[in-house]
Amino acid sequence: MSLEPPADDGRERARSDADLVPTTALPVVPELLLAGSTDAVPEMPSHRRRRPRIVVALAAAVVVLLGLSGYLVVATRAHEHASVAWRTLAERKADELASTKQDLDGATNELTAVREQLATATTRITELANEKAQIGDEVATQQQLTDYQKRIGAAAATVASALDRCVTAQQTLIGYLRDAASYSSTDLARYSSDVDALCRSAQDANTSLQTELSR
Amino acid sequence: MRRSGTPARLRTTPALRLLVVTLLATSVSLAGCGVVPDLPTPVPADITGTARPEPAPTATGNLSPDGFDQAQRMTVRIRNIGCSSLSTGSGFAIDATTLITNRHVVADSAHLQLSTYDGRDVAVTAASTASLADLAVVRTAERLPAAPELADRDPTVGDPVTVVGYPLGGRLTVTSGRVTGRTTDPLHQSLGEVLVTDAPVEPGSSGSAALDAQGRVIGVVYAKDSAGESFLVPVSTVRTMLADASAFTPVPACS
Repeated sequence: MSLEPPADDGRERARSDADLVPTTALPVVPELLLAGSTDAVPEMPSHRRRRPRIVVALAAAVVVLLGLSGYLVVATRAHEHASVAWRTLAERKADELASTKQDLDGATNELTAVREQLATATTRITELANEKAQIGDEVATQQQLTDYQKRIGAAAATVASALDRCVTAQQTLIGYLRDAASYSSTDLARYSSDVDALCRSAQDANTSLQTELSR
Repeated sequence: MRRSGTPARLRTTPALRLLVVTLLATSVSLAGCGVVPDLPTPVPADITGTARPEPAPTATGNLSPDGFDQAQRMTVRIRNIGCSSLSTGSGFAIDATTLITNRHVVADSAHLQLSTYDGRDVAVTAASTASLADLAVVRTAERLPAAPELADRDPTVGDPVTVVGYPLGGRLTVTSGRVTGRTTDPLHQSLGEVLVTDAPVEPGSSGSAALDAQGRVIGVVYAKDSAGESFLVPVSTVRTMLADASAFTPVPACS
């Protein structure tokens, strides 16, 4: 809102144009003062001009403080609610932590037990593998011994057979030689040579046997 | 009235002004300086940690499928059934179906029988020996449980060494020691120098893998002396032999 100066007053127009200020910064001028001469306006005391400003400022301060107080009340209640909620959350987390710690302790104990079982199992596996290896060695040794005995037996049988044939042939040759006149000397020599061959084969078989025995 | 009231107003005006200014200043400073608390943020339904805890091992666990470590899983026991003898030795896998051992472990054999750390038998398909080192390569029909990595270079004196094998043909055993030096082969079976360690070995340990601290193969056990020293074919020789296909020839059967 602005003040409308009188249209026929040149001095008032000049003053109004020169001193135009926002009305919100000025105290309210009574209506009667606008109609008369400026010389008739009484000078307002300085403290009377300041009083409305102080009142407005004081009112503003009170409003600000009231607003601030209200805000503090609201904030306090909000913080109380938040504090309760945080405490509830903290207690729930503490319960969860305690439960988790209990689970961890249980799992740790189980893990320790499992590790001990694993160590026992691996030790046992190693022992069983060793026992199996030793048995395998024993079996291989026994197999080698069996093979050896088979070879020895076969060689001994060969020696015995060759010796038997050698002895039989020699006995036959002795019988022939006792009645040498009945046989040709050529036949006797050939037969004697055959007997020698039989006996040499017996000797060879015996040599092989001795070789096997010495291994 | 007016004259009498004026001094009183004049007296109270500065006080009021001071009060107003103080109230305003207090209000502005309380609000502006952050003394007035903000409204609390909504409480979440649940909270989680800002940093996820990283799982940290509390002990040196044995991370293998069955509780045996890599060194044990890669080791095999070799039974050499000769024509008139039986001997045992050790070996280790270098891939799924190939293992390394000593030449004297597989020599004069009629049959070679392999068994793993867990007692499983593995059939042999072929065996060949190197003439320039006490090394042999054995091929298997079945897959071997694990294979180690060969070290890039030979160890130096003082390096730790771990030997995994079957001393005296007994149970799988792990012994450890340190590399004590290098020397020429006392058995004159290998060209170049061999490694000397103080890791305990026994007959039957021949062909065992010697491992460094990272579990890589640094040599192959092949001999020991009366002073308790053990001798290794160094990994550099092993690599050289493996790189030369002609270095290995099939093992002749015993007669």
